[in-house]
Amino acid sequence: MQYKDYYETLGLPRTATQDDIKHAYRKLARKYHPDVSKLADAEARFKDINEANEVLKDPEKRAAYDQVGSGFKAGQEFRPPPNWDAGFEFRGGEAPGGGPGGGGFGGADFDASDFFESLFGARARGGAGARPRRAASMQGEDHHAKVLIDLEDAYRGAERSISLRVPKEGADGRVALEERRLDVHIPRGIRAGQHLRLAGQGASGIGGAPAGDLYLEIEFSMHSRFRVDGADVYVDLPLAPWEAALGATVDAQTPEGTVQLTVPKGSAAGRKLRLKGRGLPAKAGGTPGDLYAVLAIALPPADSDKARQAYAAMAEAFGGYDARRERGG
Amino acid sequence: MKEATSFALRGSVVEDELTLTTFELCRACNASEEHIELWVSEGVLQPTGAGRDEWRFGGRSLARMRVAMRLARDLEINSSGVALALDLLDEIEALEARLRRESAPRLRP
Repeated sequence: MQYKDYYETLGLPRTATQDDIKHAYRKLARKYHPDVSKLADAEARFKDINEANEVLKDPEKRAAYDQVGSGFKAGQEFRPPPNWDAGFEFRGGEAPGGGPGGGGFGGADFDASDFFESLFGARARGGAGARPRRAASMQGEDHHAKVLIDLEDAYRGAERSISLRVPKEGADGRVALEERRLDVHIPRGIRAGQHLRLAGQGASGIGGAPAGDLYLEIEFSMHSRFRVDGADVYVDLPLAPWEAALGATVDAQTPEGTVQLTVPKGSAAGRKLRLKGRGLPAKAGGTPGDLYAVLAIALPPADSDKARQAYAAMAEAFGGYDARRERGG
Repeated sequence: MKEATSFALRGSVVEDELTLTTFELCRACNASEEHIELWVSEGVLQPTGAGRDEWRFGGRSLARMRVAMRLARDLEINSSGVALALDLLDEIEALEARLRRESAPRLRP
């Protein structure tokens, strides 16, 4: 297990005041919050920031952390000394955020690192595990998870087997994560960011009360070829200069396969050709999206005498042509 | 992965097929009715129906409400700050969508 330098995470010296910690946390949280930030590693960064804050904002946890860790550097191999926490008492406290997804359920569940748990125990992180609400009869909680599907799945509809980590209370009252597999039908025409509700697939109820629901948030895996905007899909269509200038019939890739597309003569780069209704299919009563082929001009390399001559002949033929002026610049 | 088994669970697409009651939205977002009332009064949620017992929320309220709850909790900002942040996030999203649509393909060598 690696030592985590919580001060470094928040960019603070060990002498920072509680106010410094609060300010540093708020500033970094605004920057890296996964709902706000577009950075690719925002979710991981936010998790670290959150965990650092969770320890340092609490004077008792901070004192304990300072005592055990002052000689360590971030990333160093770490093992807590025996009885290191004698004299401290950690409260469960409110559950800090885990950001969306985060691998677990509910979003309220703080996804603590092994390092954190070795110091403060799984109970200290609040969330689902440390919230044993007892009632004679209570409906189970709703659960949330993210599902990554391919764009093609949304075009055709699909069945996907997903696995979820579900907190489950054992006979000794300890809560452990248990793997659960579900086969789920992905409806044709579903869009990224939409949610599927599976009734009764959340946490089981207590005392005969009904189970909660499971909400699955749909995300598309990155596609090297297609970009998706709501129901509309975009694909780049490279053309040779003569195809763009003279017009041509070319093959274009769509998520449903190859189609033939007529490129009008005099087409400029960036022009969009719309294939109506070839975007994501409609769901009941709706309209399908459109597919746009965005034209790009590819220049063949001048890597042979013949090719160089062809470019030279072009230059001659277009004697007065000034590419800078034509662009309107 | 894609072979047809008739045992696969079928769900409802929240955004297209469902409206949620106050109770359902509370459960789905782990929120109290007071939370919901707060977000309605801030204009973050716009239900139809007269009082909170008759409110019906469009399916898109689910994601909006969850983001609102996370921002309020993680960034420690008040409800009008969250409302502002959500409006700005919507605006950024719309601008980025426009950028994606209009992004001119690069010239290739």
